[in-house]
Amino acid sequence: MRPPSWQEAAVGKPMYIPPPGALRSRRSFLKRGVWGGLLLGLSGTGFLALRGSKLWPAPAQPLQYLDLTEYSVLHAIAARLLPCVAPAPTTLEVDVGLEIDRALDRLDASAVSEIKNLLRLFENGLAGFLFGRRTKPFTQLAPEDQDAVLREWQDSRLVLRRTGFTALRTLVMGVYFATPATWKGTGYPGPPAFHQPGLPVWKGGAEPRPLGNGTWVEPSPAPAPEPSTETEP
Amino acid sequence: MRQGRIYTADELDADMELSCDVCIVGSGPGGAWLAHELVSRGRSVVMLEEGPYRTARDFDLTERTAFANLYQEVGNRGTDDLAVKIFQGRSVGGGTTVNWCSSFRTPERILQLWRERHGLSALTPEALAPHFDAIERRLHIAEWPEAAMNRSNRVLWDGLGALGYSRGLIKRNVHNCANLGYCGMGCALEAKQSMGVTVLPDAVEKGLSIYANVSARRLRILGRRVVEVQAEVLDSLSRRPTGVAFRVRAKVTAACCGALNTPALLLRSALTGGGRVGRRTFLHPLAAMLAVFDEPVNAHSGAPQAVYSHHFLDRGPDRIGFFLEAAPIHPVLAATVGTFTGADQLAIMARLPNLQATIGLAADGILPGDEGGTVGIRDQGFGRLAFDYPLSEATFEALREACKQMARVQFAAGAREVYSLHSHPVRLRSIDDLPRLDAAPWERLRLRIATAHPLGGCAMGADPATSVLDPHLRYRELDNLFVVDGSAFPTSLGVNPQESIMGLSRWAAQHVDAAIG
Repeated sequence: MRPPSWQEAAVGKPMYIPPPGALRSRRSFLKRGVWGGLLLGLSGTGFLALRGSKLWPAPAQPLQYLDLTEYSVLHAIAARLLPCVAPAPTTLEVDVGLEIDRALDRLDASAVSEIKNLLRLFENGLAGFLFGRRTKPFTQLAPEDQDAVLREWQDSRLVLRRTGFTALRTLVMGVYFATPATWKGTGYPGPPAFHQPGLPVWKGGAEPRPLGNGTWVEPSPAPAPEPSTETEP
Repeated sequence: MRQGRIYTADELDADMELSCDVCIVGSGPGGAWLAHELVSRGRSVVMLEEGPYRTARDFDLTERTAFANLYQEVGNRGTDDLAVKIFQGRSVGGGTTVNWCSSFRTPERILQLWRERHGLSALTPEALAPHFDAIERRLHIAEWPEAAMNRSNRVLWDGLGALGYSRGLIKRNVHNCANLGYCGMGCALEAKQSMGVTVLPDAVEKGLSIYANVSARRLRILGRRVVEVQAEVLDSLSRRPTGVAFRVRAKVTAACCGALNTPALLLRSALTGGGRVGRRTFLHPLAAMLAVFDEPVNAHSGAPQAVYSHHFLDRGPDRIGFFLEAAPIHPVLAATVGTFTGADQLAIMARLPNLQATIGLAADGILPGDEGGTVGIRDQGFGRLAFDYPLSEATFEALREACKQMARVQFAAGAREVYSLHSHPVRLRSIDDLPRLDAAPWERLRLRIATAHPLGGCAMGADPATSVLDPHLRYRELDNLFVVDGSAFPTSLGVNPQESIMGLSRWAAQHVDAAIG
């Protein structure tokens, strides 16, 4: 008789999820990312997951892609990644959450849903418990505990968590420093005054191409034509 | 022939079917030169470009505008696990719209490797020279004068000189350049001789039709022929399909979408090249070292790259070589490629004018067994592809040595302190601290790795068992499909790739032309 497959053997038994690092023999399994997939699956459900988030005030303009929970997680993360002091504007003043929500408009729908899942997982109490024995959602933690959580993601043995940290860090840093108001504190002069928004756009058709730096003009004096060695047939 | 036309999404509101001699997918350095050569021979050519048509009036020289409009995946492209950040252009002109202008002919040592190991016997310096000559003439490619070198490159130049390392001045494709340093955001002066202001308009004058915001989704195959390129019109801002379909029936099709995107187009069309399409994709994976100087460097200002060192390209038969260049420092680039967090990030960003970045780029795919990454397609995601790039011990060894050498160079030029781009940056106060780098973690996502040079994935070669394209760049299993871009390279180059791609394209045009019949 055929022995039961591991899937069949697992039916009806409680799922055992080892704490991170508990079993060395699980490392290759962890590396393959199945563990990560399992955790992403947890992002919206479960007893601990249902504990309330500390919501930030809604932005002045409506959110298109993020809900208020995801927006609040993002702001909580941003405030720790960039604990700004004057003259640098705070991440809330720049409204990093709203800027990211707008930026998502140009990302693929699949990337948008991955980012939303990631924010949910970050906030999720059950995931927090499994990772670091914390039961409070990220937004409810004290700032030093939030720093510790961010550090755990950044330094995790799981590539998935390091990937997640990198994604969130890149989003926050990107939109914050893309905002001109943040440049004052950096000494960056911004764009030089060479932009000419009124320039016409040439698209060919019946219109002759205007002269510009890109048009080719034979250097003068034009090189003498090479003597032709061809003869008429 | 009548002058051609550049069309954009706002004009493409009804399904369209076109016929022509050649359909070129992609308008970067490969597609542009191929189109130019073919229309010059009197061929009718239709070019599809999924990115937008953006010109000087759109280039406000901010990173926000540039990433939103001119880069793949809004500047967020990367390997699947984000271990390698990938900067790749996406507009009419492709990477040439946003690159830093560095221009090198394909080095003879690479051509020799390709001839010996990949059977590309026709690719000799003599065969390519007339093409490089013509390209350099047309694009005003010339050495950037030492007198015009910015402070950031001066650091590299002086440091290399002090240590006795080989160094050279970079040639740039610019004309009437004002030395602004914002090349990565598109050139507001049209001084950069990108494809969008030079070769493409030249070709349009000779009859080329360019359809921007049109994304080729798959090639329809019948027998041994591509019978139709099936494409969709994209909204120029959101990049999402507008629902308008676009079909091109051409005698010959050329995929010129660049590395990563060309393999993805082939894979979407069920063209796997015996499982080799998408494999052996190389990146020139780079690590950077950030130096802090007492006096301002202003690395945002002036030609971003003026100096190179190939001193470490040949490190013996068992090691991956690397080359050194400078990188410009603008806030988003510094903050996202940099790895500081919290108060440390604010402190380093407050010293932005005093920072200098040197980059060490590994020449991957040359050491036997260095097989590069693999492109795949995703079930979901319109503009996304799957890409895995294994980072081997040999790669990390090269990057570690590169980081040490970069720090040496920066200290030799007077740096006060130097930081690595580990997730917890290693701070060096003098070369006595170099051993600290050995103790740092050299692992994926613990060290920032980036690239702007994806290459390979559709290797050309003489041996059908190891190549996707024949030595004339024809896709082996079909009679009328060519790949003419950086994805044809069987290895990386060890130099910035734009001129190599142009040269290969101008050379290959004769073979594409011959296939039209």
